[in-house]
Parts: sequence; structure tokens; C-alpha cells
Amino acid sequence: MVRQIKQKPMNWIERLYIFEAFRGLFTTMKHYLRGFFRYETLPTVPYPEMKPEILPTYRAKHRLMLRPDGTPRCVACFMCAAACPANCIYIEADSSLDGRIEKKPSRFEIDHLVCVFCGLCVEACPVDAIRMDTCDTSYVHRTREDFIANLETLTQWNPNDYSQNDVLSQAAPGGIKNQQALESWKLRVY
Amino acid sequence: MMEILTSRHWLEWAITIAKFAFAFVPIGFILLLIPLERRGAGFIQDRQGPNRSYFKLPYFGRIRLFGWVQNACDGLKLFFKEVYAPNHVHRILFALAPAIPFAIVLISPCVIPWFAPMVFTFGDAVIRIPGQTVDSEVGVLLLFGLSSLSAYGAVLAGWASNSKFSLLGGLRTSAMTISYEVCLGLSLMGMLLLAGSFRIDEIIAWQDAHVWGIVAQPVAFFCFLIAMIAETGRAPFDVAEGEPELVAGFHTEYGAMQFGLFYMGEYSHIGINSILVACLFLGGYSVPFVEMSTIQANVGISLGVLCGLIVLALLAFLHMIYRYSRWYKTSSASNKEVILREYSLYKLLAWAAVPVVLVLGILSALFFHPEYTIINGEMVYGAGVAFGTALIQLLTLLVKACFFCWVWIWVRWTLPRFRYDHVMHLGWKVILNIALINLVVTAVIAKLVLGGN
Repeated sequence: MVRQIKQKPMNWIERLYIFEAFRGLFTTMKHYLRGFFRYETLPTVPYPEMKPEILPTYRAKHRLMLRPDGTPRCVACFMCAAACPANCIYIEADSSLDGRIEKKPSRFEIDHLVCVFCGLCVEACPVDAIRMDTCDTSYVHRTREDFIANLETLTQWNPNDYSQNDVLSQAAPGGIKNQQALESWKLRVY
Repeated sequence: MMEILTSRHWLEWAITIAKFAFAFVPIGFILLLIPLERRGAGFIQDRQGPNRSYFKLPYFGRIRLFGWVQNACDGLKLFFKEVYAPNHVHRILFALAPAIPFAIVLISPCVIPWFAPMVFTFGDAVIRIPGQTVDSEVGVLLLFGLSSLSAYGAVLAGWASNSKFSLLGGLRTSAMTISYEVCLGLSLMGMLLLAGSFRIDEIIAWQDAHVWGIVAQPVAFFCFLIAMIAETGRAPFDVAEGEPELVAGFHTEYGAMQFGLFYMGEYSHIGINSILVACLFLGGYSVPFVEMSTIQANVGISLGVLCGLIVLALLAFLHMIYRYSRWYKTSSASNKEVILREYSLYKLLAWAAVPVVLVLGILSALFFHPEYTIINGEMVYGAGVAFGTALIQLLTLLVKACFFCWVWIWVRWTLPRFRYDHVMHLGWKVILNIALINLVVTAVIAKLVLGGN
């Protein structure tokens, strides 16, 4: 359906331009004075020294969630790799050592130079093993190969950086609920 | 030869030669305008502007000077780039063109009066020093003539570059300059009519005796200001170097310091024009609400008041520094120590300057009492009074000019660009007519009210 937006015609004062120009000058002066006298209220921050607050809902760098014993929660079902529109996830499966679980990933690689940060892998995961809530938006490496996150780098995160209400993060080794979770998990760390 | 030399007192010669230093005032304005433009633009757009370049001092660490160091960085970068000319250019004219606007800038402030004519006794001699470097009868006409010459730089650059963007840019510049010179001259005519002289110092004297030009001729003031902005070729009238159409206009093919000369020429042109507007419409060097004779009679107190104003400005500066560093201490920044260390330098300098200036001001107010001799029925003071008055007047002029410099930047970052035909329409069909009507009305009123000849 075509929707026509009617523009309000300018009245003669507006068409004279000079008064509207003065109004514009007034606006810019307000902004200038704000920057000059209340420098700290500027919406921009001096970046590397001050970082903007990033919410955990922001789709940032990935991490793999961990079981209480420290193994990745991933069951190598390939759902994320199938959902990925950029084909940046590469998984190789292996048989799990835990009898209750069929498979585990022997390789899990995300190429961050290819990733489009759409978050579909997070949506697709049936066991909540992959998340994008690290708030890590800027990561720099020397070579292209370094941008490929593997099983080690994806699982290197500290539960203390995450909310105490985040049960799954706190159940990982080092988290405040790890002991409790280990008891219900009833398995020794390999 | 000796007769010319001995016709004047040696001090008069010395001051006359020293006045040539005023040619560099517009170049000093570049140092003010570039940070003002870049950080002012930042603040207007809710950014911070360039503030990261620094130099290092032993104890205080990285000194940023609120972005002032950026000037030096820009300049150094332009200086050390390779001067490069493409193959297809006209070598001589290509090298000559950037020098023209910059050379004009050095010449054109010669008729601007920086202070009221100084008359003072020195020993037995009575010395008269005019406020301008060149004491010319045609004054403002000479200035217009010289400043419109800078269009030659753009035209030559456009022609010599042998590129169609440059050529179109040069063409547009010449068209703009010609159109708006007409408006410029005509809008000024009302003011000249009232003052009855082309000399800028007489126009200022008229404003001092009656009212400022901005009150007497408000319409002319706006026409003049718009024409001035258009003549310097800055936004919203920057059709000559409009980025969307012409890459960069006449200086498309230039780089390094050759481009820098165009850039600096433009900025110092703004400086000269600001001084001119301040002279013609804002009373120039005359201090508002205070007669020059009052300043001369109480020169010690006047200098004391000046020192008091400087102290106030320093205290305001200190207040802002303290406010900001207090906020910075509580912020989450990772470079707190660096910034606070830097600010401790500013605090130290300002706190050191406050008592010095204060004591100087009090001393001058208490102990500087001028003595005068009466020559031809007028009180004539000594050299100290003359120089003190000249200093106050020079500072007054520069403050007014700085305000207009800000107007240039303010307008640039507020208004969108005009299309080329709109610029011509505004110049020839609107401002020219307004200026003409203003001239006629002024002439009639001047005839009726002032009863002029």
C-alpha cells in the first residue's frame, strides 16, 4: 500500500529563511554551550579510556557454556552450524566419555572474520551451550588464523564476570553455584 | 634622504616600523580559528572534537592543551609531506597560485587601525602615531581591493591545475567574489555616508561619538556579514569547493603545504574580515561606554580594571578545571592519573598568574597617575599613557574580532549549503536590492536629520 505523506507547507516567516536561520543558530549555540560548560554530559566517551556500557543482551563474542565438571555443554548436534547463515561454525564430533551423553565436540571453531553476529546459533542450540553475552566487542589479533576461536578460547571465561542470577554461568567451575551443581551432576572431573 | 629621516623623531620611526608586526595578527588568528573550528564543530555536533594530540613535559606528562596541540600536528604533517605536482599542470602558475591568497593576507591588514591615533610627549617632542600601518585616505577601499585580489589565487589555481574540477571551482570562486564584492561595497556605503569618510579610524570615531554601526545600520550589518561570509567562500556559501560536485574545487590537485597555504589563507581571511566587521559595525577599538579621554585620564585604574578582568577569566578557567577534574576522579576512566596530572599544570599556572596579575593591577591603579601638558588646548600625556591606552584598545578590538570569528564558525556548522543558483539569487536579487534600498533610505534620513551637505 502506498502511503503518501503530505508535507506541511512553509508559512511566509519560514520562507523568509532568515528567522529560521536564527532559530538554527540558537539550537547549535545550545549544543556548543553544553559541550563547553558541561563537557562531561556529552553523549560520546573518550573510547579506549572510558568504555560504553554494553548490555548482556548485546550480541557480542561467543562463549561455550560449561558443565559443572568443566566440560563444554555442547553435544555436537550441529544445530548451530546448520543455522549459521555465514557458515562460520565448524564442528567435529567425538563419542562422549560420559555414558549419559552420546557425543561431544572434539573441535568447535567459530571464524570471527566470517561471523555476522546474527545470534541464530544461540537460538538454535537445544542445550543452551552457546551464548553471545560476553560483552566483548573489540578483539584484535595479528593473523587471520587467530580470529578463529576454538574450543579452548571459547570456554575461557570467568563466572565472576557474569550475573549471580545467571545460574548456568555460576554452575561452571569457579562459580558460586558450582559445588551445588556438582552434587546433582554426580560425576568426577576427568 | 636625511631630510626624510630627520623630519620625524626617532621614536616615531621606531614605532612606525614596529607597527609592521601587526601584519601577522591575521596569521595569529589561524592559531585561534583552527582549534575553535574543530572543537567548536565537535561541540555543536555533540562530539568531543580532536583532543588527543599531546606533547610531553617532564613531571606533568602528556599536555594536551585542550586540543590546541592539534594545530602543531596539522602544521607539521603538512610541512613534511612531499610537495607534489601532477604532470599535466602549468608548472609556474601552479606553484605561484597558493602564494597569492597568503601574500594578500599579509598586506591587507595594513589599513586597519589597531588603536586610536596616539599623541604623546616624549622629552620635548610631541609624537603622533596613526593607528594603522598605512595611513591612507582611501582606507576601506584599499582593503576591499586587496582582499578581493585573493580570488586570483583561486582562479590561477583552477586554471593551472588543468583539471575540470579545479577549473569549475576557480570559475565559481571568481563569480562569487565578483557578485558579493558588489553587495559588500554597497551595504557598507550607508556607514560611509554617515561617517563621511573612507578612513576606518574616522568611521570608528563617528561610532564612538554617536552609536555603534550595528545600531545605526542593522540592515547594512546583516547584508555586510552575509556578503563577507560568502566572500571568504565558507559554508553555507562554499560552492567554490563543494565536495559533492567538485571534489575540492580549485585546490583539488594540491597537496602538502601548497594546500596548507590555501587553507591558512582562508582562515586568515576570516580573521581580517572579522576585524573589519568589528571595526565598521562594532565600534572597533573603542571601549564600550567609556570615553577615550576618561581612559587616558585614569589610565592606571583602566589597566587595573583590565587586570581584574583577566583575573576573573583565570578564576573562571580554574573553576572549570576543578569541576571537570572532580568529575573525572569519580569516573571510570583508565587514564585518570594522566589527565589529573596534566590538569595540575594548568592549576599551577593559573594560580601562579592570579596573584601576579592582581598585584600588577592594584599597583597600576594606585601608583600610575599620568601627568599631562596642554598643547593647543588639548591635554597631551606621556608615552606610558599612550601605550597603556593603545594596549586596552588593541585588546578591545581583538575581543570583538574573536566574537566575529566565532560567528563564522557558528554559521558554518548551522546552516546547510546553498545551491549554486540560490547563492547567485541571494546575492544579486536579494542582498543587492536590500543594500541599495538601505543606502537610499540612509541617504534621505542623513540629509533630513543630520542636514549633511
